[in-house]
Amino acid sequence: MGGYHGHYLRIDVSTGAAEWVKLPESVLRRFLGGVGLGTWLLHREGPHGADPLAPEAALVFCFSPLVGTPLTTSAKFAVVAKSPLTFRLNDALSSSHFALAGKRAGADALVIVGACAAPSIVVIEDGIVRLEPAGDLWGQLSDEATHRLGERFGRDHHAAVIGPAGERCVRFATISSGNRHAGRGGLGAVMGSKRLKAVVVAGTQRVPVADPARVVAAARDLSQRSFGPATAKYRELGTVANLLTFNRLHALPTRNFQQGQFAEADALSGESLNEARRVARNSCAACTIGCEHIYASTDGNVRLEYESLFALGPLCGIGDRDIVLRAARLCDQLGLDTISTGATIAFAMECAERGLLDADGLRFGNGDMLLALLPQIANRQAGLGDLLAEGTRRAAERIGGDAADFAPHVKGLELPGYEPRALQTMALGFAVGPRGADHNRSGAYEADFSNQADRLHGSAESAALAVDTEDRAALMDSLILCKFLRGVFADLFAEAAALLQGVTGWELTADELRTTAQRIVNAKKLYNLREGWSAAEDTLPRRFLSEGLPLGAAKEATLPRERLQSMIAAYYAVRGWDADGRVPATLVEQLHLNDLSPTAMS
Amino acid sequence: MNPPTITVEFYGIPRARAGRKDLVVSAATAGAALLAVASECPELANALEPDGTLTPHYRLSMDGEFFVTDLAHVLHSGDRLLLLSADAGG
Repeated sequence: MGGYHGHYLRIDVSTGAAEWVKLPESVLRRFLGGVGLGTWLLHREGPHGADPLAPEAALVFCFSPLVGTPLTTSAKFAVVAKSPLTFRLNDALSSSHFALAGKRAGADALVIVGACAAPSIVVIEDGIVRLEPAGDLWGQLSDEATHRLGERFGRDHHAAVIGPAGERCVRFATISSGNRHAGRGGLGAVMGSKRLKAVVVAGTQRVPVADPARVVAAARDLSQRSFGPATAKYRELGTVANLLTFNRLHALPTRNFQQGQFAEADALSGESLNEARRVARNSCAACTIGCEHIYASTDGNVRLEYESLFALGPLCGIGDRDIVLRAARLCDQLGLDTISTGATIAFAMECAERGLLDADGLRFGNGDMLLALLPQIANRQAGLGDLLAEGTRRAAERIGGDAADFAPHVKGLELPGYEPRALQTMALGFAVGPRGADHNRSGAYEADFSNQADRLHGSAESAALAVDTEDRAALMDSLILCKFLRGVFADLFAEAAALLQGVTGWELTADELRTTAQRIVNAKKLYNLREGWSAAEDTLPRRFLSEGLPLGAAKEATLPRERLQSMIAAYYAVRGWDADGRVPATLVEQLHLNDLSPTAMS
Repeated sequence: MNPPTITVEFYGIPRARAGRKDLVVSAATAGAALLAVASECPELANALEPDGTLTPHYRLSMDGEFFVTDLAHVLHSGDRLLLLSADAGG
């Protein structure tokens, strides 16, 4: 079997003890790697009912069979844990040299449990594990800590670090590696709760592939296609180009989802940013797309994506591009998820404007307040900072009144930059997402941006489209390949089977990988069921189901609760789940998931 | 009778290729509008595949109301067609 070491490393940072645990080939073939294998490991290593910030909680870093191959965009890793924001399964992907060095360290995954007595780093060199004190790094910004670790360990070592937000267990803190981030769901808080400032990896243990010539040929072909029109938007413009398109379609969340268009969109657009502020374009390690567009702010350079732009700009009513760039840069340094940060501040701005929150100057459009709040949140400064560090769901519970009606989250995870009333297949994807409102595990917006669905009038027919995008995402996130490649595949499952066969030597078919993708989605659901999921969680905040979205010319888009319920019921049916959204025992059997949480079966 | 006058708006890669925000053309159908666009903006000639269909890398929307795949779709004076990048993710 190529592509795998065949074991993972379980590290108890309470004692520094490390243990190798065999990964049977049957498990690897059923869950592949990345998000899939990480989900299986969380089932196994994450205690039932544990608080995500308790020492016994597990934090999983999971590599994949493709890491270390010449296949473009394959230098990726997944981080999986129970989310302190949602208390449900959370997975986030990140990229680059940490993935390459981490796999060369000798394991297919690192599972970290326990908590250090004092701030520490864990160092893994060719499978040898040790803890080192990190008192000198504690309190440092993510980029400062990364730089210091680089000086301390040298170029062959790579680190995943947390910023101050992670140290203080802000519920939407990130884990940074290079200038990339495992961003969503508060994985940085899980790491911070273990008093772990960084995971440092290095090694020399390369994993052979089954058919090197075939893999090299496939890599050349994929790289060639990655230069083509399917990736042109990411390469030439970056995801910031979404802003004007979404604005035109009334799909740009503005002022805490009160509108779908932003009056200052032109000034903040990707096009104007690219003209006025772009200074460089970069790639992740082993990537030929080069989607990282770097912009200059008055505080320094920053990589900016659409999600950061929408959340720190229109969502907060801010049209000053320098403010947005500075805020994005500061979020990266502090280790804050830009989506949840922007959404939480926008929610607080609306609370203040409605008189539910007493905070001077907290108003839509106040960029100075946005910038001032970021360190307050990251440091959990008493008062507003500590309140907002809890995320919108918990903040709304504390604020009271009708705040929960317009707190923009699903299962506790704040919505990304897709207005659900204007993109109603995406609305379904948000509602049923295992990790909450999510644009990376569900690409249902692709149906909304096509003639396959009526984006303003979602229907039961949307369910199959949403399922299809989830299954594709599950496969790509487990292989792992960048989703910006998805447009280059004529038949993702067939081509992925060929790629994986070259790496592993397994005789694979497209049908097997379709089943694998379904298995991974169901495994996530089984985890959530184990942790107390109920169908009441699969919904959207009241605002989206009771308020119309202005479309101009006296028109509005509505998403009545009954329509969403009908779409969810259809989604459960397409998934083969029962009417309450539970996974039937027959499906568990059929997907070979019997080893996962049998108590969760209906 | 002269074909109706309509406006084609460009977003994403189509805007970068066209070097402009929009273009007013006379065209009776969506396909004719794209041919007129290609004539004025040669960088957008690849919007149409050799078989006359829209390239999968772009989308065509009728004023944001619905997406057009049938390029025989009939246009009316004052219509606004949006030519978009297909990839909306990020």
